[in-house]
Amino acid sequence: MDQPKIVLSLMFFTMAFAFYGMTALLYIINWVFRKRWIGQTATAMAIISAFTMLMMLIARAGESGHAPFSNLYESMALFVWALTVGYLVLEFRYKLKTLGAFVMTIAFLSVISASMLPYKFKSVAPLNPALQNKWKWMVNLFSKVGLENYAIGWLDFHVFATFIGYAAFAIAFGISIMFLLKLRNEEHGNSGLFSRLPESKLLDEISYRAIAWGFPFLGVGIVSGAVWANYAWGTYWSWDPKETWSLITWFVYAAYLHARVTRGWKGKRCAWLSILGFLAVMFLYWGVSFILPGLHAYA
Amino acid sequence: MSKDKEKTVLQKTLRKRIWSFFNSVLLTIGTMLSLALVSIIGTVVEQNKDMETYIQEYGEKWAGYISWAGFNDMFHTWWFSALLGLLVINILVCTIERFPPKWKVLLANKPNFSPTFIDKLQHRKVFTVNADKDATDTILKSFFKKKRYKFLEESAKDGSSAFYAWKGVIGRYGSDFTHISLFVILAGAIIGSVYGYKSFKVITVGSTINMEKRAGFNLRLDKFWIDYYDTGQIRQYNSILTVVEDGKDIVEKQIWVNEPLLYKGIRFYQSSWGTSWNKVDAAEIGFKRKDDEESSTIVRVKWNTKVDIPDSPYAVKVIGYAADFAFDDARKAVFSKSMEADNPAVMVELYKDGEHISSPWLFLKYPGLFSSIPDSDDSLIFEGYRGVLFSGISVNKDPGTNVVWVGSCIMGIGFILAFFIFHKRLYINIKSNGSSTEVKIGGVINKNTMALEKELEVFCDHFEKKQKTHKREF
Repeated sequence: MDQPKIVLSLMFFTMAFAFYGMTALLYIINWVFRKRWIGQTATAMAIISAFTMLMMLIARAGESGHAPFSNLYESMALFVWALTVGYLVLEFRYKLKTLGAFVMTIAFLSVISASMLPYKFKSVAPLNPALQNKWKWMVNLFSKVGLENYAIGWLDFHVFATFIGYAAFAIAFGISIMFLLKLRNEEHGNSGLFSRLPESKLLDEISYRAIAWGFPFLGVGIVSGAVWANYAWGTYWSWDPKETWSLITWFVYAAYLHARVTRGWKGKRCAWLSILGFLAVMFLYWGVSFILPGLHAYA
Repeated sequence: MSKDKEKTVLQKTLRKRIWSFFNSVLLTIGTMLSLALVSIIGTVVEQNKDMETYIQEYGEKWAGYISWAGFNDMFHTWWFSALLGLLVINILVCTIERFPPKWKVLLANKPNFSPTFIDKLQHRKVFTVNADKDATDTILKSFFKKKRYKFLEESAKDGSSAFYAWKGVIGRYGSDFTHISLFVILAGAIIGSVYGYKSFKVITVGSTINMEKRAGFNLRLDKFWIDYYDTGQIRQYNSILTVVEDGKDIVEKQIWVNEPLLYKGIRFYQSSWGTSWNKVDAAEIGFKRKDDEESSTIVRVKWNTKVDIPDSPYAVKVIGYAADFAFDDARKAVFSKSMEADNPAVMVELYKDGEHISSPWLFLKYPGLFSSIPDSDDSLIFEGYRGVLFSGISVNKDPGTNVVWVGSCIMGIGFILAFFIFHKRLYINIKSNGSSTEVKIGGVINKNTMALEKELEVFCDHFEKKQKTHKREF
């Protein structure tokens, strides 16, 4: 069998691997030594890393001939990219570079885990029958200018929405951990390394905002998945493990939002709920793919 | 107190208690987390398998518990439905309890114009503008216009003016939209399960799916084929289906995975394919003489067609096939144990000089197991076959689907309102100090306090840009 060439995307991935390592390290150094130029270099490196990951995704799309969302390795690249972009937006908005020490470390760990995936989760494969879905109206529209191969469909929409959600939850998770560390530090005299984190009240609020972004996007991901399933499998909901776990995750974050907005929960309890929610996300994303069999086996 | 009265009081407090039990967000949180927790069981224990699978995996004792608790079909157990029901009642009661007062408060938008009220707000700013009051007034109104605030104005006797400005009230209704959408989705699911049905049909080319009783038409499979990538992987499988009504062809459509046929509210999905277990396209039948090692002649016999075996008085016709041969003693009938070709066998009708003499089964894996030609030492050998592909079609009618989509759209609107539109209220007081003017602003927001703080910053910047100011902060 002829395997398509994946040299270019592999090259970009390797570069991104190095860049993400440097970015995470720079943010940590910036947190410890508080040098202005290190902070600026870290931000620049984060932008370069995001760009390299984007190039990797584009190269991969070119090599496989379809949007690079069809296996665990490709989706991890998408996840890391969305996480970085989300983080950069956050940094420009709140001017808090210490967030990067945690969030970009999560990004780097994700790149490492993607690189350690067994080969069968990495290989370039053509889309199986169930994954081939393009919006007809878009194909018709694009075919007028000869670009029908670039039309997208439910696969692209569903995966993209879901991964914006995942990335937002990952950011919320990182910041919740920062919150817990900072809170402990504040209770014990507010000195040392953790005292340099932003004040706990602000961290609490930012992690809530991240969840308020993730929740609707996960919702859109679930609904678009249902619409697509209705086309491909003949039913919009079949309690497949992936579907069920997405609902579990959604319930946990819905509980978080209700606790926070209606009951006025803040701080510690919310942080733990956010961490619990992200554990559910990790299982939804990796656990289901590796452990539980189901229709959704690809990623 | 008479006994009757006592009873009604008791009833009243009981009713009140039940009501307040359901009117609790803690119940919502608890129910959602419980649903999340029990759903995990439903993903760890494989659903809807037969009992043997569970016994094999968990042992007899645990398999018993699993079936007792309904873990084998957990999402359809009474207790899972009860949990969902609890959540529904909870949401319903909370909405009934909270929506009308919220509606009233937001409609009767009675602002508080007192300057001391601003001092009590958590988010506020005070600064002085180097301009007279009228100029300040203009700057303020240009801010409202630019940021699309609606506002009310009130002048006090001491010459100061109070303003109340607001926007994004509709964001308050986001949660209500979301909750209503859940009811709509649930209604859709119930409609689907009551009025809909699902089934799975396997057909070979040329045969039909009988929908006569259900919907008054038949569906014929005209063609089935598989597309491959260059690498040998399956790209897509396709069926051409024709709707036949009253003996006439009405519609013809090619379906594939992701492209169903919709006719009279019923959808037909391409859901699987395989090789038929009870029919072959053609079989190769060999004729072996007594002392030969191998068949001396091999003939290719199409299904249900009589073919002569050269240089012999015999002719054969293939009339039966079993992919995984088994014999049912009770019914005295042959059947296929599975859909896999584990023990393929064909049944042939054997003719000698044009006369039907026997109908033996021939086994691919066990040639010559039974004597196949009566009163002769020659035998027939089943040498090979070409299978018939079948197309697996899911038949699904679900009139609730569109209701679910409507619910999903409402949920989307609810999300946009709830998460991205904030109800901002600004309370502003302007007081003239001769040539300069003091501006006092305080704000309230329903969520996302950071957005409010930012808005207050923008408010100050707006004045700074328009006029040189002395900032005096708290």
